[in-house]
Amino acid sequence: MSTTWLPCGVYHQNYSQDQAWFQTNFIRGKMILLFAILFIGIPLVADDYVLSVCNQIGYTVLGALGVQLLIGFCGQVTLGHAAFLAVGAYTSTLLILEFPWPQVLLDAGLAYPISIFVAALVAGIWCVLFGLPSARVKGFYLILTTMAAQFITVDFIITQYVSQIGGRGQAFSLPPGTIKIGPWVIDSDLKVYYLMLVLAILCVSLVVNLLRSRVGRAWVAIRDNDISAEVMGINVIQYKLFAFFVAGFIGGIAGAFWISNLAAISPEHFPWFWSLWLVGVILIGGVGSIHGVIFGSIFMVVVMEALQLIIFWFMELGFAWAQPLFMDFLFVKEAAFGLAICAFMIFEPNGLSYRWWQIKNYFNLWPFSY
Amino acid sequence: MIVKKEIMAGDILLELEDVHMYFGKVAALAGVSLKIRKGEIHSVIGPNGAGKTVMMNCINGLYKPQQGIVLYKGDRINHLKPHERARMGMARTFQKVEVFGGMTVMDNIRLGRHNHYRSGIFSGAVYIGKAKREELEHRQFIEEEIIDLLEIEHIRDKPVGMLPYGLQKRVELGRALALEPELLILDEPLAGLNLEEVEDMARFIIDVNEEPRWQVTCLLVEHDMGVVMDLSDRVFVLNFGNMIMDGTPDDVQQNPEVIKAYLGEEDLYATRK
Repeated sequence: MSTTWLPCGVYHQNYSQDQAWFQTNFIRGKMILLFAILFIGIPLVADDYVLSVCNQIGYTVLGALGVQLLIGFCGQVTLGHAAFLAVGAYTSTLLILEFPWPQVLLDAGLAYPISIFVAALVAGIWCVLFGLPSARVKGFYLILTTMAAQFITVDFIITQYVSQIGGRGQAFSLPPGTIKIGPWVIDSDLKVYYLMLVLAILCVSLVVNLLRSRVGRAWVAIRDNDISAEVMGINVIQYKLFAFFVAGFIGGIAGAFWISNLAAISPEHFPWFWSLWLVGVILIGGVGSIHGVIFGSIFMVVVMEALQLIIFWFMELGFAWAQPLFMDFLFVKEAAFGLAICAFMIFEPNGLSYRWWQIKNYFNLWPFSY
Repeated sequence: MIVKKEIMAGDILLELEDVHMYFGKVAALAGVSLKIRKGEIHSVIGPNGAGKTVMMNCINGLYKPQQGIVLYKGDRINHLKPHERARMGMARTFQKVEVFGGMTVMDNIRLGRHNHYRSGIFSGAVYIGKAKREELEHRQFIEEEIIDLLEIEHIRDKPVGMLPYGLQKRVELGRALALEPELLILDEPLAGLNLEEVEDMARFIIDVNEEPRWQVTCLLVEHDMGVVMDLSDRVFVLNFGNMIMDGTPDDVQQNPEVIKAYLGEEDLYATRK
């Protein structure tokens, strides 16, 4: 799965046309339409519930992007990515609440944007720290060392020590008005939605750009064949750590973004199951594909919400069995997650993005399928 | 710091001095010495298990010999890692093709130029200015010099994993050439190819060695005696980790020990019947 077929009659005359992002006017038009729907269409028609679902999708995209980079593009299987989201979220929160910001910056509303960037850097460095074992171990053993990241970071350091800062007990509450970007106080789903869109588009384009330049090619080479990558002149350890840094960086952005949607953060927001969930997202969406991150996130969030609605509907209709299911929806969610991954592994191991690619090619080549 | 050193044609490019490599108590290489001069095609032949690939891995840095010296352009390189040796101008292909199956042909060859690209993680992430310009410059080099030379225009956008074996071998050669190497280690480039592909591949090796544009020194490991004797300037014969002889193809064909150890296999096969 690599190149998409272009419609008949598209001839490139130089390399820069051939390497462009949007190769025809039709594709450019489609992309403009997509952005218009995202920025104008959805906010116009959606109510708060739909927007909050969109925000969840965006958060999942940001989280899963780092996982995709590590697993799908660099071949370093990770099962502790929620730890780096937690590091980002906590760094950002602590900076906002505890750092003695100069009044000028507070007035200008720069405290939160700066804290997002710092949180991303801290999470990136933290991720490199737990990426160090990848210099020696690979595959199955690396999964266990990355799981250590989750337990050391969230269950030990954050729960036992970081949460005690300021004597607040378990959760840090974020008073209304603290999350502020420029003149806008992020206090409604709509504003969170726009913040999510900007961050998601920035991060996705950052990763896509990396993947079509020198660093990204080195990552994919390490994934496919690390010995010949080294022989071709790639410093394998350095590039693996680069991958961990970028993955942690995006994870930190995701975590720091998510606090804008929360009234309080606590370690329970970043359980180990959330790390597993992010891996599930890329398995369903398609490993080694940026489309896969987005499709996987949409699928997982929408299916879970739909499931909850269906159970709620049954409960309303008076079915007795729906009552306990709705009360314990978390377990239903976990079961559905397991089932969805099994089904995808059996029926479509290439994920949703492969189906998308097939459909796209079908229409591009129509009516001659060759 | 690795500095590219210029040397003249005919000078010694690579030298092995009394190299020993043991796996446990098994001696894969027991004191091998070899001199490769710039500009020549130097072949290494020997029966299976003679230690040819081990020798290539020692030159390349994948194995560290326990004893002996590896000299490249007069400098000791025993301690350098494979990627550092690649930066000095050493490229190789593998006996079993080791291409990046999930990448396209184009990307495989681009990856071979990894050391010629300059953009880092930040300019790559932004992808304006330097990174973009660089991609276009290298694209031109790859298209005009490598894809054209190896005649793989029609498959440049295909994932390598889906190509037939012969083409994968060719892509692997292209990837090694993209590094613009001075020493090209070819570990059985002809294994598993059909007659036509063998002829093509032999042609490419001669082209790369003789064309003024490339002038790459080749170290060739091969079992196809016809090709080896036709192409090589010198032939090095290895048997159970020991050097039998190092000489011109004609001398090697006359040498009774070589005939006994390797070339004479056919006669042995005939008498068994």
